[in-house]
Amino acid sequence: MPTETIGALAIIIGVIGRFWPVWIALAIVLTLSFTFRGRLGLYGQLFESGVGVAGVTICFFWLFTAMFAHVIAPFDPLTQVAVMKDAMPGTVVPDQGLVYYFGGDKLARDVFSRMIFGSRIVLIIAPAATAFALMVGTTLGLPAGYYGGKIDALLSFLANLVLAFPVILLFYLLVTPGIVETGLPHWIARVFFIVPIIFFGTLFFTRYKNRPQLLAVQMALIVILGGWVYLGLAFDADPLGIISIDPNQLNIFVAVVFASSPGVFRIVRGLTMDIKTRDYVAAAQTRGESPWYIMLWEILPNARGPLIVDACLRIGYTTILLGTLGYFGLGLAPESPDWGTAIKDASRLLRSFIHPALPPVVALMTFVLGLNLLADALREQSLKD
Amino acid sequence: MNERVTDPSQNPGTAPILEIENLSISFFTRKGEIPAVMDFSCTVMPGEAMGIVGESGCGKSTVSLGVMRDLSNIGRIVGGRIKFQGRDMGDMSDEELRQIRGNKIAMIYQEPMASLNPAMKVGQQLMEVPLIHDKVSKDEAYKRALEMVRAVRLPDPERMMRSFPHQLSGGQQQRIVIAMALLSKPALLLLDEPTTALDVTVEAGIVELVKGLGKQFGTSMLFVSHNLGLILETCDKITVMYSGEAVETGRIEDVFDRMRHPYTQGLFRSIPLPGADKNERPLVAIPGQLPLPHERPKGCNFGPRCHHFVEGVCNAAEIPMIEVEGHEGHFSRCVRFNEIDWAALPKGAEKKHEPVKPGAPVLKIDNLKKYYTVSGNEIFGGAEARVVKANESISFEARESETVAIVGESGCGKSTLAKVLLGLETASSGDVVLGNTPIQSTAIEKREVDTISSIQMVFQNPFDTLNPSHSIGSQIIRTLEKFGIGKTVADREKRMFELLDLVKLPRAFAVRKPRQLSGGQKQRIGVARAFAGAAKVVVADEPVSALDVSVQAAVTELLMEIQRKNKTTMLFISHDLSVVRYIADRVVVMYLGHIVEQGSTDQIFAPPYHPYTEALLSAIPIADTSVVKKHIVLEGDIPSAMNPPPGCPFQTRCRYKRLVPDNLCETKLPPLKDLGAGHRSLCWLDDAQLAAMEPVISFDRGVNVPVSDVVPTDEPHGEGAGTGPGFAGAPPQRPHGKTSDADAESEMERIERAPPPPHGSREITGNPGDSSPDKLQTEVGDGRQAVSGEVTPGLGKTRQSEVDGNEPNRS
Repeated sequence: MPTETIGALAIIIGVIGRFWPVWIALAIVLTLSFTFRGRLGLYGQLFESGVGVAGVTICFFWLFTAMFAHVIAPFDPLTQVAVMKDAMPGTVVPDQGLVYYFGGDKLARDVFSRMIFGSRIVLIIAPAATAFALMVGTTLGLPAGYYGGKIDALLSFLANLVLAFPVILLFYLLVTPGIVETGLPHWIARVFFIVPIIFFGTLFFTRYKNRPQLLAVQMALIVILGGWVYLGLAFDADPLGIISIDPNQLNIFVAVVFASSPGVFRIVRGLTMDIKTRDYVAAAQTRGESPWYIMLWEILPNARGPLIVDACLRIGYTTILLGTLGYFGLGLAPESPDWGTAIKDASRLLRSFIHPALPPVVALMTFVLGLNLLADALREQSLKD
Repeated sequence: MNERVTDPSQNPGTAPILEIENLSISFFTRKGEIPAVMDFSCTVMPGEAMGIVGESGCGKSTVSLGVMRDLSNIGRIVGGRIKFQGRDMGDMSDEELRQIRGNKIAMIYQEPMASLNPAMKVGQQLMEVPLIHDKVSKDEAYKRALEMVRAVRLPDPERMMRSFPHQLSGGQQQRIVIAMALLSKPALLLLDEPTTALDVTVEAGIVELVKGLGKQFGTSMLFVSHNLGLILETCDKITVMYSGEAVETGRIEDVFDRMRHPYTQGLFRSIPLPGADKNERPLVAIPGQLPLPHERPKGCNFGPRCHHFVEGVCNAAEIPMIEVEGHEGHFSRCVRFNEIDWAALPKGAEKKHEPVKPGAPVLKIDNLKKYYTVSGNEIFGGAEARVVKANESISFEARESETVAIVGESGCGKSTLAKVLLGLETASSGDVVLGNTPIQSTAIEKREVDTISSIQMVFQNPFDTLNPSHSIGSQIIRTLEKFGIGKTVADREKRMFELLDLVKLPRAFAVRKPRQLSGGQKQRIGVARAFAGAAKVVVADEPVSALDVSVQAAVTELLMEIQRKNKTTMLFISHDLSVVRYIADRVVVMYLGHIVEQGSTDQIFAPPYHPYTEALLSAIPIADTSVVKKHIVLEGDIPSAMNPPPGCPFQTRCRYKRLVPDNLCETKLPPLKDLGAGHRSLCWLDDAQLAAMEPVISFDRGVNVPVSDVVPTDEPHGEGAGTGPGFAGAPPQRPHGKTSDADAESEMERIERAPPPPHGSREITGNPGDSSPDKLQTEVGDGRQAVSGEVTPGLGKTRQSEVDGNEPNRS
């Protein structure tokens, strides 16, 4: 048994020291943003309130942590050092001279390193899933709000169905082996992933219909890039072999997008119904614009304020959702360092050792708090103008 | 530094209710201190009504909020005092202020629904006032509330007391708000644009009510409005504000007829008063725009926009209010008012235009009908479908270069008509022919690009007409692209710059976002967009009603200039008959989906009227002390288009109904009666009754002239008599700046020349309906004409040559 430990102060100094790339990056980005805040629009205005600065700082902190995880974490998140099982915080690993700052978990892995690497999974899946949910919700919400009538009734009904379904049960169903074998999640993924291609295609087509040369270039780019990513993600058939997604992660991804799209749908639908009564929409109609041009170029840009705020909050919910899924052991691999799985692992031994549970909990909490602060500040600033 | 405006001689022994001394209010924002009101003084005597007038952002509402000490958390009074009944409000504790608010000072806001609690019945809300302030019993409170509901002339008071606010119409709600304010028997009533959200005929009723308050309850009033005509009808004194300062204050007659501040004069020149004419005497807009609060110039705030500006005099130091000699209580914040030639027009304003000759018909509408079906839930069915008849048998023509005004209040179907014309809706039946193309059933998606670009629209709300997310340039270029103008991007850019030139905006605006533009500038972009594709017909839906007075004139003139150049047909949708009379060649009056009257502007504005047109004409406040108006206040509200009355659409509010035999009005739709020369009216009244109608608006014959000598110089039905369209009585040939001293002179001269009168315009005849209880006939301007007599005649003589018939201007 290793006996050598360092004191609390040394732990704090050591941890702060490990984060050095984050501090440097934060210093550079925040100084630049603060200096040029006058020219940075809404983002720049965030620096005018304490809440905004706090939100931006926390979010950037986790973003840079995820980016520099390799440098910050002293250990690989999966490496087990047998002697370190359930080691107390600050225990020095024999022979290496490195420290388990937050101790070791029951499988003798470094809790600190796992927390750092866990941020990667969270910061990739949560924003990406939110982006897809936004895209899906927007694509369905716009026509529902704009046309109203039967289309609205049908789409709203479907959205209500999904919303009324218990989320956890939905996740259980989606990741149950029996359901996975039918290929249902894959098919849903194929539908979801095609939405952005259609979305951007329509976006550029409606605007540049009358300028065929420009349109051709844009369309080619969308088809090539989008198709490439689509093949890689939805069919795992990337000809270049670069883009692929773990089937477990795909399930999680699909589940999260499926569960949060109806929320976005409702918001977009409501905003569209409000904005479509404006004179500039009528002006667009009277010059003969197509409905999709009006939805995508006249209405959507003016709905961006509430949507940005919602996206921030939604990334937070998604992070918590990922934690919940991890806690139930759904989706991601059991050894995954993501925060939810880490909390689940640690919770089993909570009565004897509390230290492996705390770091992922604090990490999850601060990240969501940061996003909420950011959303608050964004809402406040966008109201001021 | 500033003299207070007091007038002790007028009311000896009476103390003023409200004295504001050199009040300054600032807002503290993240950009620093922004002064909203500076050095504002005024005095309100018991029973007196003081009007505060000014454009948006001039601080007029801030003054009234300052009196209430209700300046949110960022506003603060930084100087001066407000004394209420002799006590400085700054010395009062919060407790005392609470006692005063709602009890001794009551406030009425623009939006009645925002002042009423939607979850409480009207009766309960009214009863609360005596219950809280006077601690009376419930029965007593109910009694007082009911009495007050009667006093504000609401029909069926018991039912009103049991209603929720949303069950009442806007006008009824505002009456309830007034009743609530009056229940505490306030000494001072603050009214902040109390009628702006209401229709004109409803507004007329509220004005009638407010006007009597001073006499009936002895209440003093502070009436905040942007509308000079309303101030004239309701107030005794007026303060004109500009950019946070009071620039002129005095009695109504002094300020209206002998203004001594260039801004006040500019305001009067930019509103279409009777006598202005789009060809002969166009409006004169005030150049430039309101300075931002933190960019106010040194010295006179109005300096940069004033054509009397003298370097080193006007911008030397801050200017105090200076008393105008010979006028009681008349002050002006202008250092040069004694040197200024008040009759002179600013340079370039004497432009005249040849009257436009209308060409062949461009737009023909025949028997157009538009019905909507309102149904319940789309999927599950539900409530049975109901039909809204938005347009009923609309027929009229519009010729090339002609301006046809479509007049009516909200809910009359004028917007639906515009939608059908533009293809946003398709007609239920009937024909619309544009050029040679029938378009009544072609929705916008199916229209040819040519058709789309040849009928375009200018929208009402400048803050809504441009997409806030795109730059000005890109929005115009997009329009050009849609209309297939220009082959390359560079072509369209060039054309876009030309359009900016056309609407007189700098080319640098192309890269700006709409929020960087003022309301007037946005509306100019809206005009540019409508004319981008050489439109044959432009539908202008109240294009200037949301703009400030001085900007309105500029946009109106611009619109007409482009129309003249392009020979465009304009359909001008409006509820404001003053603007309509100024701009339109022909007028179509709509009510509840029907065209009730149509004809040339002259025909519409002279008797015989359709009863609705008559009421509409009488409802418009006119900011001219020499105008005498018959007051006809309509009872009730516009019926719902979902459930229109049988027979004549106007029968529920018509005061002539009982003159028609056999109850025809309530049973059968009247025929479209031809009154000659294209003048048509939807009415059962017979020729004799129509001929007996009196003009609603006539001109006060001025000074010391016996009524019988008063002479209108054109025939009542006059077409092309050379005077202002269709008013009985000649418009006073006053120069652009109304100098009353000169006025009086010219008036006298013309009267001597004039032929004997066919009828006296001030005479109250045995007009049918006179005895009808729902008609209130009063004459505004009673007792006011004497004012001109006070002026020393010497001044007038010197300028006689300029004044007489505007000769110098015509050459």
